[in-house]
This record gives sequence, C-alpha cells and structure tokens, in this order.
Amino acid sequence: MERLLNPVLILLLLLVALLSLTIGTLDLEVSSALANWFSNLLTGKALTREALIVGEIRLPRTLLALVVGAAMGMSGAALQGLLRNPLVDPGLIGASQGAALGAALVFYFNIFPGLGTLATPIAGLVGAALTLFILMGLSGSMARPAIIIMAGLAISTLSSALLAVVLNFAPNPYAMQELVFWLLGSVSNRGLDNLAILFPAFVIGSIMLLMQRKLLLGLSLGEQVADSMGLEVTRRGRYIVLGTALLVGSSVAVAGNIGFIGLIVPHLMRPLVRYRPDRLLLPSALAGAIFVLLADILVRQLPPERELKLGVLKALVGAPFFVWLVWKERQRWL
Amino acid sequence: MALMSIDKLSVQRRLFDACLDLHEGEVLGLIGPNGAGKSTLLNAITGLLPRSGRISLGGQSLEQLGSLQRARQVALQPQFIESVWALSVHDIVSMGRLPWGDSDQSIIRQVMEQANISEFAARHVDELSGGERARVWLARVLANQPRVLLVDEPVANLDIHYQQEVMQILVDYARAGHAVMIAIHDLSLAARYCDRLCLMDNGKVVKTDTIGAVLSSEILSPVFNVEVYVDLENQPPVVLAQ
Repeated sequence: MERLLNPVLILLLLLVALLSLTIGTLDLEVSSALANWFSNLLTGKALTREALIVGEIRLPRTLLALVVGAAMGMSGAALQGLLRNPLVDPGLIGASQGAALGAALVFYFNIFPGLGTLATPIAGLVGAALTLFILMGLSGSMARPAIIIMAGLAISTLSSALLAVVLNFAPNPYAMQELVFWLLGSVSNRGLDNLAILFPAFVIGSIMLLMQRKLLLGLSLGEQVADSMGLEVTRRGRYIVLGTALLVGSSVAVAGNIGFIGLIVPHLMRPLVRYRPDRLLLPSALAGAIFVLLADILVRQLPPERELKLGVLKALVGAPFFVWLVWKERQRWL
Repeated sequence: MALMSIDKLSVQRRLFDACLDLHEGEVLGLIGPNGAGKSTLLNAITGLLPRSGRISLGGQSLEQLGSLQRARQVALQPQFIESVWALSVHDIVSMGRLPWGDSDQSIIRQVMEQANISEFAARHVDELSGGERARVWLARVLANQPRVLLVDEPVANLDIHYQQEVMQILVDYARAGHAVMIAIHDLSLAARYCDRLCLMDNGKVVKTDTIGAVLSSEILSPVFNVEVYVDLENQPPVVLAQ
C-alpha cells in the first residue's frame, strides 16, 4: 500500500489540477483552450478568448497553488523531522514573518520600483533570507532543537513587531488595506512571472531537503545516535533549515501567509509511510499541493464581491485541527 | 597488537590524558562512580565531543577517517535512546546500515535473530516493553557491524533475565573478531562478563587490568567512597557495597 501512495497522490493532483482549470464563471473546453494558448506561446498564433482565460488566469493560479502547497507541505515534514517535534510549523523558524516584512516594505516605501509586480516577491525573498541569516547566527553551531525553536520564536516576534510598525505608519488607508489583504494570503491575480521566482526557489529548496533524508531517519533516535552514525547533525541540519527557509520564504513572498498546511499535511501522511521521516517528504509535498489547490477551488466558489482569502480559510480549518492535535497529545500523557 | 589504542585522550574539564588499549575479541568494562568520565570517554572516542590526544584503529589514526568511515568502524550505543516516531522494529534495526548506505537484509535478519527480536520485526517500537526495546536498540548497533562497539550502560534498566541476555550478546559479538567496550555500574555483572576492567575516577583512568587485579576491596573502596565486599571465587562472582 505504501508503494502506491505517491502514484495515487500524483493522480489525485492531476485530477484536482484539471478541475481547477475547468471550474470558473465561464464554461469552456479546457483542452482546446490550453492547446491554443501553447501554440500562441510557440508560434504566435492568435489567442482565442477561452485560451486567454485558461492560460493567463486559471493556469497561473493553479500552478501557484500547487507549488505553494507543495513547498509548505514538504518544509513542514522536513522541519518536524529535524526538530523531532510533530507540533512544529514551518512558520516557526521566522522565515514567513521575514518574508511578510520584506513584502510590506514594498507596499510602504515602494522599494525596487523598477521590478514592477515582482517587487513584492523579491523583497519577500530578501526578507526571508535576512531572518534566516539572523537565525543561523543566533542558534550558533550547537543547533539543538530547543535553541532553533527559541531563536525562531525570537526572530518572528521581532519581525511581527516591525510589521506592526509598518502597518501603524502606513502612508494612507488604501496602502494599509492593500497590505493587510496581501498578508491574508491568496493565489489569485498573480501572473505567471511570479512563478519565475517561486519555481527556482522551490526546486533548489526541495533538492536540499531531499538530500538530507538519511539525516532525518537517523535523527529519529536522537542527535547522539545520528551523530555517532556519522551523519554530522550540525552541518547537515543547516541544509534543512536553509531549504525550509527557501521554500517558506518564496511561498509567503508570492502568496502571502498560507499557514497550517506545513503542520497538518505531514500529520495526515505520517501513518501512511509507517512514520518514516525520510519517506514523508514527497507525499507531504504532493498532499500539500492538493490541499491548497482544493481550498483555492473552494474559495473561488464563494460570491466574488467579498472574496474570502485563501489564508483565512486555511487558518479557519487549521486552527481547530491544531486544537485537536493538542488534545490528542494530552491523551498520550494521561 | 591492540585493535584500538587510545593515547592521552582529553576532553576539556571532563577527561584527562586517558590511555587505553583494546584488543580484538575482548570485552573491556569501564567502571567507576557517577561522573567518573565513562560516558565522556565513550563519546570522545566516537567523535561526539571536541577532544585532544590520539586514537588509532588497526594502526590508522581515527582523525584521518571521514565521519562515515569512522562510523563504519566504531559505533556507539548511548545510555538513553528513544524513538521519536512510532517506527517499526525492522526499520530501526535497518538504521544500523545508514553509515554503509545499504540495507543488507541478510545482516539485518542475522542480528535480529541474535538479539532474539525476529518475532516482532513488524511491530511498532512504542508497543514494546523496556526489555524488548533494549534488545531492539542493541540490534540496531549490531547491524552497523563495527570493529569496535562502545556501549553505555546497556543493562541499567533491565530485569536480571534481560541483563544476562544482553551481556551474553555483547560477549558473543566480541568473540566474533570485534572488540566491545562497556560502561557498566553493576560490578558483579562486570566481573562475570568482562575480560578486563578499566577503573575511572574524576575524569582519569585509575587502573586498567584483569578482573582480579582491579576488583579488590582495597582499590574499589576509596574510589567509590564505600566499603566494597568482593568474592570472585563465588559462581557467579559477587561485588557489592557493604
């Protein structure tokens, strides 16, 4: 059954992606529209209206949701394995708050004006990288789980405080509203050019994580055992922190705060891979992609005049799940 | 020639100029009061602590080996092990092959038989009793097939039946052409199963010698700060505080 998990998830992902391309206010033939859009890309053939809708609106939205979901799912699985704690969320290492702060500065100070719509994601990525740099310095060479968690908490608190300052001194109500809506998290109205930032970060980040699968397995028995098996916990652990920051930072930079996926998805997948932390990465990425895309399809079904932001929906579903997790954890100790 | 020789091994503030030889086929017991430096010595040999001094294995300096190469030759069983995730017994034993980068099923099957845990290979480790778990951890380190096996307090929390079983597994492993070093508090078990003993106190090696030469009331009493009763003629030997 375990061997079928990834193929089944891939199949589900394709089905949901097809559904996402099909569903919309306008009924249209997806396959011919996509074919037309691609031939326009390759040969410059004239675009039909259907091709424009599918290629320029639905396709970017679908791809972004998939990549963001995969990034959050995989980084959650990797971070829970590294810190050996099932209650860890990738937001914990401060990368998402750093990304949010960087992006907020774009709204406020209008930095990187030459980059146009890409200014926000790039500033977000820079913000995530900076917080990561501080995290590494603060947690030092003795990268123990408790220290990483504490350092992450300190940095995200600091970033949140600075974000509050930015909000406080917003130049006008409109800028503030724009920023708040952006922070709530969404994959709508983002062009394919956003993928040019998100996708390379996703590929590099996931390769960094996938290369440390042995360490994740070895860490199941604690740092001492992993170190004694020659797995160099401190050095290799940094690649996991770095990879996670790349995935989370780029996702938040593009789509705002889409929390809880990194916490929930690894939990649901864990029994299906017989609790192996090294085998959890890929299924978590696939399931994360499916979840975010499904949630976005749901968001699109709601009345359009007052859009429910994707991040809000995630939090609404995620928070009760978190309560349930705490409850379950408590039962274990009774 | 010694399989492993340790020369002036020191760890800041915890271990001072420890010198020790370990021979092929032998079980060497590390004894001494709490805080004597037994665990520090084992961790330092494994490379988990910053150390000074020289360790050579089969004539080659341990410093020259990469971390994975070292892990293939020298393996450590720490005193406290816990599995964070509810892994299966088979998966945990397979982890012993991580330094080698393979999952040699014949070795895994063999060590599971040695440790007498084959019957619950598919069970989750959190469902097992303490004694069963101790044998699972042991099978993991045996699957590593190290030339030198370092074990920290393998019997501390076990009932007398499992104590015997675990000690016998370690003796058998040493006799099969390896060497085993055990930090152990139970001096009667040390007298029964070890070939030589190394007595430590305050981060220093006090004496390394045969059982009869180390286990005497005159030597042990001042180190442990209590009158020690020793009867090595008895079967099994008895070493107890009076």
